[in-house]
Amino acid sequence: MPETRLPIAVIGGGMAGMTAALEAAEAGAQVVLIEREPALGGRVAQLARYFPKLCPPSCGLEINFRRIKQNPRIRILTRARVEDITAQPGGYRLTVLVEPRYVNQACTACGKCVEVCPAEVPDPWNYGLSKRRAVYLPYPAAFPFQFVIDRSACLSGCRACQDACPYGAIELTEQPKQEVIEAAAVIVATGWSPYDASRLTHLGFGRFPDVITNAMMERLAAPDGPTGGRIVRPSDGKEPRSVVFVQCAGSRDENHLPYCSSVCCAASLKQATYVREQCPDAEVTIFYIDIRTPGRLEDFYQQVLNGDRIRLIKGKVAKVERSAETGRLVAVAEDALSGRKLTVEADLIVLATGIVPNSQDLPPVLARDPFGFLAIPPSEKGIYVAGCVRRPEEVAATVQDATGAALRAYQCLVRSLAHA
Amino acid sequence: MAELVVRPDERFIQEVLANGGADLKKCYQCATCSTVCALSEEDRTFPRRQMLLAQWGLKDLVLSDPALWLCHSCGDCTEQCPRGARPGDVLGALRQQAIQYFAWPKFVARWVNNARAVWTLFLLPVLLFAGLGLWGPETVSEQMEFANEYPVPVLEALFFSVSGLAVLAFAVGLGRFVKALRVQGATAPILPNLVPAIGEIFAHRRFQKCQAEPFRYPGHLLAFWGFLGLGFVGTVIGIGTMGGWLHTPLPLSHPLKVLANLSAAVALVGASILLANRLRNQQLRQRTTYFDWLLVWLLAGAVLTGLLSELLRLAQLKVMYGVYFIHLVLVFALLAYAPYSKLAHAVYRTVALAATRRGTRGGP
Repeated sequence: MPETRLPIAVIGGGMAGMTAALEAAEAGAQVVLIEREPALGGRVAQLARYFPKLCPPSCGLEINFRRIKQNPRIRILTRARVEDITAQPGGYRLTVLVEPRYVNQACTACGKCVEVCPAEVPDPWNYGLSKRRAVYLPYPAAFPFQFVIDRSACLSGCRACQDACPYGAIELTEQPKQEVIEAAAVIVATGWSPYDASRLTHLGFGRFPDVITNAMMERLAAPDGPTGGRIVRPSDGKEPRSVVFVQCAGSRDENHLPYCSSVCCAASLKQATYVREQCPDAEVTIFYIDIRTPGRLEDFYQQVLNGDRIRLIKGKVAKVERSAETGRLVAVAEDALSGRKLTVEADLIVLATGIVPNSQDLPPVLARDPFGFLAIPPSEKGIYVAGCVRRPEEVAATVQDATGAALRAYQCLVRSLAHA
Repeated sequence: MAELVVRPDERFIQEVLANGGADLKKCYQCATCSTVCALSEEDRTFPRRQMLLAQWGLKDLVLSDPALWLCHSCGDCTEQCPRGARPGDVLGALRQQAIQYFAWPKFVARWVNNARAVWTLFLLPVLLFAGLGLWGPETVSEQMEFANEYPVPVLEALFFSVSGLAVLAFAVGLGRFVKALRVQGATAPILPNLVPAIGEIFAHRRFQKCQAEPFRYPGHLLAFWGFLGLGFVGTVIGIGTMGGWLHTPLPLSHPLKVLANLSAAVALVGASILLANRLRNQQLRQRTTYFDWLLVWLLAGAVLTGLLSELLRLAQLKVMYGVYFIHLVLVFALLAYAPYSKLAHAVYRTVALAATRRGTRGGP
């Protein structure tokens, strides 16, 4: 192929974006991968294990990172946000704002800067379950393996890290840059965010520290998480004796997310196995409206159920309170099968919060459905959507989705060459 | 449950949908409603179960469920329902169906609850009172008095007979209701439990637990006490005049008259709060049916015309006879149709509360 051809722009460097970028690049296309965060990996990097195989995502991520590193056709922009997309003959023109990292390529990730940094903020990587410094490594296996500075967290006038860095890698005065990228096709794979649990105060979130989200549960169970992989109560670090999972915490609810987030049932079943493995004596109760484990996940559901000590109760938890007598948390629900009101005491309550598409910050020209998922009309030949910003889906489906999007984008490339 | 044979009564489902329960089919049985309901009891939960039975068209089963009457239409469930199925409104619609289901004679219930026949409801009292006013015996006194046109003994005889018929109809309806309650496991003895149940109703203890609609508790409490006062005064004066030891019009300072005026004022305030609440909430307004409006307007109309005719009599204006005529028509309708209108909820609820009283329930 001639060298003058335009690249494919991939927005989002999570599992979907990385997959699309790799599939396209390995087929011979030039790719610009635009990631908002300082490192690639997305939500998958925050998971402890995948369902249904219950293996850690780290090996898959490592393979992807290596493939990207080895591929000269992929250019990565981190801390970059697409501000505008306009169509032009033969493709699209993307205006990208690249926020400074304040740490340059000379960084060896030695960590001297962190030792001296006086500013501490809740770590969004661990959903606030731990703290981090203003200068930090996004996560232990981060790619690019390079520190970054959260300037909004810096103490005013402080330059301790700059003074401590033996490599001159810190540039506190670095400015944001705008970059224009011309692309033959665009793949949008900006992924998802967990539903804002602070809106679920009736389920105790924000009122009780031991009410956490399923995303937080992944961090607790992850070996690189705030507890080194131990599932404990955030309030006192003790092992829970009773864990309650609250399905549809915000999903399938007109007052929150009207749609089914599709992965939370399997995710909670998976997390139930974490508890069963770590705290064999703990009671595990899953409150659900319907267990939705389509396709091969039905086997996973049966497999988890066959292990004992997991109780499933049909009935949505509508109230979480602290028991006046025992001081423990209680989840209140009606068991719809027996028609009795139940209160289950728990040390840890996990809200199965759903999937919100990361579409808020994307240019308005990209069409959305009423729920915020991207819904690009098929007549738009050149913009393709993959992963959870298209619809809520599990990782395996996301990878398939991204591969399909890469093929579609590659077809655009071929078409533009035919016209050239 | 293993023996349950589901024979859906499709007409019943349509009737619930058409009469205030339009969102019934949106329910997907998540049970949020039963959990957030402050009145739903541990082993007698509602409204999720009743939503399901109604969706399935299990008319006999759902209409004899005492839980229908434990619900006080707080609207807490409706507010938190994730599907907009408005369970609070659906239970209201089911109570309407239940009143018609147990009513005797049934054709009267169908007639009273037929919106298109609303004018015929007033035909009988209009003819009665018009006849009485135009052709009845007339007396002349110095002062203009209602008794000049509508002789007290005739009125009392009429109203006591109508009330008697209503009591008879209620008796038959309650007989059926109690039988159904027993089948549903509401086995507490009713008579001994009536006293605590009525005490609870007097205090509106259950209403106090409602959260979504803070004005319903004071509104219903005032309306309840106002109309109870009016009913009490009306009965006492009726007996008194027939016994000959009371003569209307009573002077304004008479304790019964004071109680009557006070009750009317309280009822008016309460009814206004309830009405304002219903009109303010757009969704509730949309779900308000003929069944609701009939009671609201009968009650409001009866109090307003009653107060107005009293004022006109004090002012000695001749139009007082016309207003009093309307008052009589409305009061007649209120009493005559009580077993078939929304007013019947007072009777069915009281009995259901007694039959389900905790600690006294027999059987398994």
